[in-house]
Amino acid sequence: MNSVNFNINFGYLEGLCRGFKGGILKQTDYINLVQCEILEDLKLHLQSTDYGSFLANEPSPLSVSVIDDKLKEKLVIEFQHMRIHSVEPLSTFLDFITYGYMIDNIILLITGTLHQRDIRELIPKCHPLGSFEQMEAIHIANTPAELYNAVLVDTPLAPYFMDCISEQDLDEMNIEIIRNTLYKAYLEDFYKFCSTIGGSTTEVMCEALAVSLLTYMSDSLKYVCIFCIVQFEADRRAFIITINSFGTELTKDDRAKLYPRCGKLHPDGLAKLAQADEYEQVKVVADYYGEYKPLFDGAGTGPGEKTLEDRFFEKEVKIMMSAFMQQFHFGVFYAYLKLKEQECRNIIWISECVAQKHKAKIDSYIPIF
Amino acid sequence: MGSLFRSEKVTLCQLFLQSEAAYNCVSELGEIGLVQFRDLNPDVNAFQRKFVNEVRRCDEMERKLRFLEKEIKKDEIPMLDTGDNPEAPQPREMIDLEATFEKLENEMKEVNANAEALKRNFLELTELKHILRKTQVFFEEEERNVVADAQLALHADEAPVLASQPLQLGFVAGVILRERIPAFERMLWRACRGNVFLRRAEIEIPLEDPVTGDQVNKSVFIIFFQGEQLKQRVKKICEGFRATLYPCPETQAERREMAIGVMTRIEDLNTVLSQTQDHRHRVLVAAAKNIKVWFNKVRKIKAIYHTLNMFNLDVTQKCLISECWCPVDDLDRIQAALRRGTERSGSSVPSILNRMTTKQEPPTYNKTNKLTGAFQGLIDAYGVATYREVNPAPFAIITFPFLFAIMFGDTGHGIIMFLFGLWMVVKEKSLGASKSDNEIWNTFFGGRYLIMMMGLFSIYTGLIYNDIFSKSMNIFGSSWNADIAYPGDMGNNVEKLMLAKTYRLNPNSTNWSKEPYPFGMDPAWQFATNKLMYVNSFKMKMSVTIGVMQMMFGVILSLFNHVHFGNYLNIYAEFIPQIIFLAFIFLYLVVIIIAKWIYFDPITMNTNCAPALLIGFINMFMFNYPNKDASPTPPCSSLTWYDGQQVIQTLLVVCALICAPWMLLVKPIILRQRSRQVKTAISVNSGDIRNQISENVEVVHHDETVLIVDEEVEKFEFGDIFIHQVIHTIEYCLGCISNTASYLRLWALSLAHAELSEVLWNMVFRIGLGIDGWLGAIMVPVVFAPWACLTIAILLLMEGLSAFLHTLRLHWVEFDNKFYSGSGYLFTPFSFDDIMDVPSGLGDD
Repeated sequence: MNSVNFNINFGYLEGLCRGFKGGILKQTDYINLVQCEILEDLKLHLQSTDYGSFLANEPSPLSVSVIDDKLKEKLVIEFQHMRIHSVEPLSTFLDFITYGYMIDNIILLITGTLHQRDIRELIPKCHPLGSFEQMEAIHIANTPAELYNAVLVDTPLAPYFMDCISEQDLDEMNIEIIRNTLYKAYLEDFYKFCSTIGGSTTEVMCEALAVSLLTYMSDSLKYVCIFCIVQFEADRRAFIITINSFGTELTKDDRAKLYPRCGKLHPDGLAKLAQADEYEQVKVVADYYGEYKPLFDGAGTGPGEKTLEDRFFEKEVKIMMSAFMQQFHFGVFYAYLKLKEQECRNIIWISECVAQKHKAKIDSYIPIF
Repeated sequence: MGSLFRSEKVTLCQLFLQSEAAYNCVSELGEIGLVQFRDLNPDVNAFQRKFVNEVRRCDEMERKLRFLEKEIKKDEIPMLDTGDNPEAPQPREMIDLEATFEKLENEMKEVNANAEALKRNFLELTELKHILRKTQVFFEEEERNVVADAQLALHADEAPVLASQPLQLGFVAGVILRERIPAFERMLWRACRGNVFLRRAEIEIPLEDPVTGDQVNKSVFIIFFQGEQLKQRVKKICEGFRATLYPCPETQAERREMAIGVMTRIEDLNTVLSQTQDHRHRVLVAAAKNIKVWFNKVRKIKAIYHTLNMFNLDVTQKCLISECWCPVDDLDRIQAALRRGTERSGSSVPSILNRMTTKQEPPTYNKTNKLTGAFQGLIDAYGVATYREVNPAPFAIITFPFLFAIMFGDTGHGIIMFLFGLWMVVKEKSLGASKSDNEIWNTFFGGRYLIMMMGLFSIYTGLIYNDIFSKSMNIFGSSWNADIAYPGDMGNNVEKLMLAKTYRLNPNSTNWSKEPYPFGMDPAWQFATNKLMYVNSFKMKMSVTIGVMQMMFGVILSLFNHVHFGNYLNIYAEFIPQIIFLAFIFLYLVVIIIAKWIYFDPITMNTNCAPALLIGFINMFMFNYPNKDASPTPPCSSLTWYDGQQVIQTLLVVCALICAPWMLLVKPIILRQRSRQVKTAISVNSGDIRNQISENVEVVHHDETVLIVDEEVEKFEFGDIFIHQVIHTIEYCLGCISNTASYLRLWALSLAHAELSEVLWNMVFRIGLGIDGWLGAIMVPVVFAPWACLTIAILLLMEGLSAFLHTLRLHWVEFDNKFYSGSGYLFTPFSFDDIMDVPSGLGDD
């Protein structure tokens, strides 16, 4: 795939996506939003943005969950529209994006059934982008092997699940391991897929030998963007796994297995992370990497400090924004979805603060522009 | 012409409204739609304004109405649109409205909930009915198998085991969405390791989903399994796939009994259901009668509060202050409306309307009617006129269709277009009432008067060109005598010419009746081989003549602007040189074109010596006048043809050329002088010491003082003004030449149209006419169809569109740029009429 032919198949959708991106709330919108006194104010202000009348048919009084549902619905409609109009390899690319939500949903359902919750209660909590046909029947599975054989074997997640079948039964610990294993396999696969998009063009162009090298170079440059995004996701996961594993009985070896084998931390950083025992050691590892060092510096849980998670979110927003700086690549779709998710989180955060009259922390949303 | 010639006088007013009267006053103002309010709190958030709660209540009411509308549409009840325009209800009525809507919505919701429950019940029963019916088939097959098994077992050793096996099988029966079946089956197979047996049958009739009301296809299934553990598992899977399970008795007798029970219950339910539906229908029909009126009322209330949100509160909180633009002529009506509003609210303190003086440019307001509206729209599309500037729209009413018709000159096509326009004009009420969403149709409909006028003018130019579907009409009898010897008296001249098939009309021939054809072109040209040369020459000259006339008119209109705005410098620094430049070159060209037509005819003069316009015009600029006696002898057409021609032409060119520097230099120099006078006046005023210093400085540092004073008075940048004037001058001088050439599109398009329609006639319709005998009788109607279709599609639609666009261009570029700056902004009054046109369904998509 090269820039010359890109627009034939994907130009419309890229333009559409950039148009959607233009509707992302600006700083001034946030300034106005945090001044809201009640949720109706929020609705009134959102009416003047790209969200338009998305809440117009909701009876007042509004609740945060209704706003959340509607925000999600709007995002899903936009995404599905792009998915339906896409052709290969973009459609696979977009499918890949949904796999992440599928994993989240599966984990949510398994955890829920583990805690004896009714599956009907859980289904509405699942992200609509990651729903699949067999999802609701997931509670018949008692062991990972069953889960695989009965439910997941037909889903695209099946290959990722291979490593988890050996686990004995579904308890909290194992679910967490399953989640991370799935994510690891998924990210690695996504990473590989992204490489092949660039590589396929190279294959086609190989016949003109003289040009092939140049094409490859330019393609790889273009896909650096996508790589960066996926790499970042992988690295973040490694950090989070490490930090969350402190204080659990997860052994270091097991932990090492969960690290995605891609991203900038691979391989040296991951090896060091595997040995880390406490937060400070993780920080030492991060210090070796220019882009992660500032995230750990000054991150904390104290008042006035931003948590590490927020730091990562901020970093994510920055990377996603930079994805829009280049043209002719798929990164924009992924970036748009992530930015929009962040925006939804922001709006929900603000509306929670408004609804609970708890204005002290209302400013800790993560601005996108 | 009055108000159309210049936009209405608009003044900025300040309105003081008593808080209790404000609502009614704004409501009255909305009804008359003559006031444009300015937003006085642009920095305040939408949700922090004063009347945000009322707006919110209106939103809520609108939501309820939309909900009702959706329900009404679902039941396909026609909504009564009486078209009457209810007054905006009083604020206290809002509570009544709210209560009504609340009651209706609750009632609707209750009915819906009931209906949903009933429908669910109904669905379950229907499904059960189907299950009983379908499973019957399964069980019958099963029994046959069992019998077969039993017979087989008689011969086998393990007979008792096999025979007893079917009895231990448990089963569940249920209904599932048809599209879910493949995944369901796969999952069953996997989760139960193939130890279950599934039979399914489709339910032929689609069932109604009680929640969404959609029709869904479902299938009945029955699963046989062995053992309690499997049963749990199967049930879980069924639950996961949202299959509904129903109890199904094991014996046939029980099943039959149950089926009968179900049938009676379904019947009972049907009566209840139809009663519920009736009730729902009654409620909705009652609502449908009023819903449009309610929508209008709520929208009006919302619009009023929206407007009130733009007002300022005064210090005492007793009254609201607003600023608005009002047309001066309608101030009385506005005052009256305010009085009405105050009376209605019962307030004793009158509302006050104060005229304010402002430096802001008022909006441009042109009162239009149905006919002028279309033309004003065309002009506004280019740019809204600057306040009180000469508006080109009234002139466009005639020039636009006329220029169009010059390019579209064909009586036949004109008649079709005229009739189409006339039809839309006559039927405008019924066509306008059926609001169409078709954008193309709406465009045509909006321009119905334009289309009718264009058709009318095309008929006229078609008669001038003597073209009806590319054929000529011989109404008055041709003036030409065919000077060919033709045996026998063939009567009419034209008939002779027709027989001759091809004939070249010699313009020098004296063989004509000495009386020109009374109107339009002589039909004899239709047969002449040199028709095209004649028509081209005629149309070319006509285009230039009309073009120069229109441009002259445009320049003269600029004089009106200068006088109106009191810009007398522009008159002698711009208008006079401009008109001289245009007249001395191009008007002279027009004059000699007409002189040539009049003075050179084959009887009195040798037409070979008629002046060659192009050569003559070029020679005029080169100051090159060929000598009669020179050798080689120049052609007589390039010689001068009236006394003193050389002197006059030289004078004209010199005068025109002088105009260029005149336009270029006079204005900037005078402006510079003026600014200097202002400067010295200021320095005189500012005291003696300052005076002395500035005088000294002025001698020494000339430029610096200019700069200092400029900052004090107003920015006078000589460079900017000069560059602007250079651009302006070049644009005008070159523009005159290129615009004149641009008017030749009149000729070109007219030629293209005539040729195209002729080609269409010759290549298509003539085939039919050329065949003799009965075959011809069949062929004519056969050929007529494609000819008519192509005429409509190509000649009327495509050619019409292209001629329209070229006319538009001639108006926007060639005519308007002579006087029209178009830098104003439109007057957008607060009017209820605009709000009512909004499509009602916001949540319909």
